[in-house]
Amino acid sequence: MLLGFLASLFISGILLWWSRPHNKPIIGWLSVLPPGLITVWQVLRIPEIAAGNFYTERWEWMPSLGLDVSFRLDGLAVLFGLIVAGVGAGVALYTHYYLEKKPSQGYFYLALFSFMASMLGLVWADNLLTLFVFWEGTSITSYLLIGFDHEKAQARTGARNALLVTGAGGLAMLVGLVLLGQSAGSYSISQIVAADGLRESAYYSVAVVLIFVGAFTKSAQFPFHFWLPGAMSAPTPASAYLHSATMVKAGIFLLARMHPALSDTPLWFWGLLIFGGITMLIGAFFAIGKYDIKALLAYATVSQLGILTMLLAFGSEYAVLAAVVGVLAHALYKGPLFLVAGIVDHATGTRDMSRLAGLLRAIPLTGLAAVLGIVSMAGLPPTFGFLAKELLLENGWEMIGHGETLAGWLVFGGGAIAGALFVAYSLTLLWEVFLRRKADATDAAHVHHPPSFGFVLAPLVLVLLGTAAPFLLGPLALLIDPAATAISNETIHSHLALWHGFTPVLITSLIAIGSGTLLFLGRAHFRRLLASLPKNLQGDLLFEQGLRGLYSLARRTTRLVQDHTLAGHAAVVLLVAVVPVVAALSYTSISELLPDLTGEVLTGPEMIMALLLVIAAWATVRAKSRMSAIISLGVVGVTVTLFYVFFSAPDLALTQLLIEVLTLVLLVLVFYKLPDDKRPPQGRLRQAGIVFVSFCAGVVGFVLVLFNSSEAMNAGTAISGYFTDNSVPLGHGANIVNVILVDFRAFDTMGEITVLAVAALGGYALLRAPAARLLSPLLNEANTTEAEEMEETDRA
Amino acid sequence: MPELYLRMLDRILTPVLLILTFFLLLRGHNLPGGGFIAGLMAAAAFQLQILSRGEEVVRKQVGQYIQPGIGIGLLVAVGAGIAGVLGSTGFFKGIWFDISLGPLGYLEIGTPVIFDFGVFAVVVSVVTSYLLGLNRVAEGVDA
Repeated sequence: MLLGFLASLFISGILLWWSRPHNKPIIGWLSVLPPGLITVWQVLRIPEIAAGNFYTERWEWMPSLGLDVSFRLDGLAVLFGLIVAGVGAGVALYTHYYLEKKPSQGYFYLALFSFMASMLGLVWADNLLTLFVFWEGTSITSYLLIGFDHEKAQARTGARNALLVTGAGGLAMLVGLVLLGQSAGSYSISQIVAADGLRESAYYSVAVVLIFVGAFTKSAQFPFHFWLPGAMSAPTPASAYLHSATMVKAGIFLLARMHPALSDTPLWFWGLLIFGGITMLIGAFFAIGKYDIKALLAYATVSQLGILTMLLAFGSEYAVLAAVVGVLAHALYKGPLFLVAGIVDHATGTRDMSRLAGLLRAIPLTGLAAVLGIVSMAGLPPTFGFLAKELLLENGWEMIGHGETLAGWLVFGGGAIAGALFVAYSLTLLWEVFLRRKADATDAAHVHHPPSFGFVLAPLVLVLLGTAAPFLLGPLALLIDPAATAISNETIHSHLALWHGFTPVLITSLIAIGSGTLLFLGRAHFRRLLASLPKNLQGDLLFEQGLRGLYSLARRTTRLVQDHTLAGHAAVVLLVAVVPVVAALSYTSISELLPDLTGEVLTGPEMIMALLLVIAAWATVRAKSRMSAIISLGVVGVTVTLFYVFFSAPDLALTQLLIEVLTLVLLVLVFYKLPDDKRPPQGRLRQAGIVFVSFCAGVVGFVLVLFNSSEAMNAGTAISGYFTDNSVPLGHGANIVNVILVDFRAFDTMGEITVLAVAALGGYALLRAPAARLLSPLLNEANTTEAEEMEETDRA
Repeated sequence: MPELYLRMLDRILTPVLLILTFFLLLRGHNLPGGGFIAGLMAAAAFQLQILSRGEEVVRKQVGQYIQPGIGIGLLVAVGAGIAGVLGSTGFFKGIWFDISLGPLGYLEIGTPVIFDFGVFAVVVSVVTSYLLGLNRVAEGVDA
């Protein structure tokens, strides 16, 4: 069922792409259906899950590696699953209006729905490796979505940085997950979470640190936070969906998933507390200085993600509930706010807050959605955001009460400061864009393109859901409690309420709101202060420098191992192959490896072929012109083919012959046109070097073949016997070579054809490169294919 | 430089080569042949076409199928592997069917054979793409 859902999302992505949806509004509405149905299905599962009956699904992928495709719908999975599918349904509709009449809309849908499938797979996964595969899927689709406007350099840089950071983090995380799986003896998440003793494992700290790296890169935690604001060059639906509601929470999700198994150690506690706390503060701090609505929202998101990370350091009921409510509340206000930013951009042509004013009156429905969302973002009562913040402070207060003063005050104080900053930037956004009169803004932008109803619908519905949520806490507990239980592994029955009476927490909350308002009034000073900070405090510049260093290192090593002649390249490759083999051989006794040749007689035909081979090779080397060298090289190849025929290896012979023919034809074609070789003859030393390398390579090749047929080498190799025995019964084929290729060793072949495909891309790029074009000025323009046109625009 | 005698030869040889390709591909599992060899054979047929008719003509005919061919070939190959997962036997474990062809007997077909079709599509597309590119460079120098 679940796998079917993922497949159906992917297929609908392809269908949407095919249907060219950009001028068919009906398709925009239809695109809501697949994620909408998944949302409904999950909602219907909630009562079962609340009762503790989890829906599971499992397929064996590679049982020998512990790799299954398995899904398990517990409270945490369904919470995130609902956010992914529910917000996804809204974003699908919104996309149609945002990318109005753009022919590339279909492609965006394809990438968006592929992302949705990956993200749902990630949150439903019950196997570490399944989770990893979908995790990487989200990284790649996110790269495609950020780089959607690939004509813009900014989009390309943003996409590249996001991919490098999350990709590198993903690889680190893979190592951590494998360490975890090996020390737990299982890759099944539900088994790992239930297992004891992981904290005593020798690999615990390494695994946790690596998993932190994965989670921090994905969820934009300090010091990797810079990629998220950079990713704002994505089209707004992608920013709203990936970079606020879903993907950036994947790291939080992973930490929450692993919480029962790994938490409650100093490493876990302080790691999350410190990095989450720093992220929370710098995100909120920088958000105030931004004039671009999307940039402000991006830094606010970074800050919110910091809060969630910090909360997961704890295991208390308040902290876990605060995390769950925070995730849900954030999806229901930040997602719609991003969507609103897109509508504002569409309607006025700018996202610059200094040029916007009075939009509540100009576009009232959008304005309503924005006001409700911003109030929740500010954490003002009685919103969902307020509830989340109260729980956070409550957690800190409880810690202080229990004697954990340092951590408690850190959370309590940090939370209060962040709360004040949240209020400040929320009020700024609310006042400057939506409330103040037009006359207050210099050069105010006009609404020249009011949004249609379908455009506003998605943010409005989401924000209304978020507004209604705090008044429906009873039914919501069915969703929140199982999720909190999955994080803490102890059954949690929440008794959430908006009103707790006059507690110290409420008073702190009110003080924070008050100081936030003061900050808002003095925002001009604050912005000036932030603008005067040195630019390289932002991580992206450092990252850029590091990247440039890497490039120049690559250039230098390339220059070191590749000089400007083909012979030089070949010499390096051959030496690299020869040296380790010789080193390895020096540890063995050669006499053992020599085959027993007594009784072996050289037959007449064999002798003739060998002679032919030697003569042809000699002729190739001594040839005066290129043509004769190519021809005699062809003779060498065909003679080798003859050897295969002689020793009855028809498949090898066929392949070799075909390759030989194709190479020969191509070489003749290309070399025939080349001008004569007018270079001066090589120096003695260089010539001697080439001869030496060739000699070494030849001798090593010969010796290896010789050794290969010796008793000692074949003693332990039972594998060929296995192939001959099982080819027909298991492989259903009598041609062993083919059965090995497509069945026994299908994985290898898969790798090989993938390499071939990648090599084709490289070859395509090389042959179309400017240097190749110089050689072929007669490029027929009428013959340009679509791919070439794309390449042209890319270059422009 | 379309040569007259090459054109004659090409008329006769290309269909023969392509039928041979098909033959090698289908019998590959039991007799010499298979996706790799068949792919090379088909590419050789295209090279013959290029030599006799010029690169541009051939590119017009098959150029648009090359890039999709690589992608579809990879997809078919991966799909054949995934079929094993869905059949609950594991990635790349073969699944075999006997299809009754009435009086003609039974056709035994399995996911490894389908995998071989994917290999064929990738090999023929990749090699042809190289051939077309190199021939273009070679023809360009001529002018």
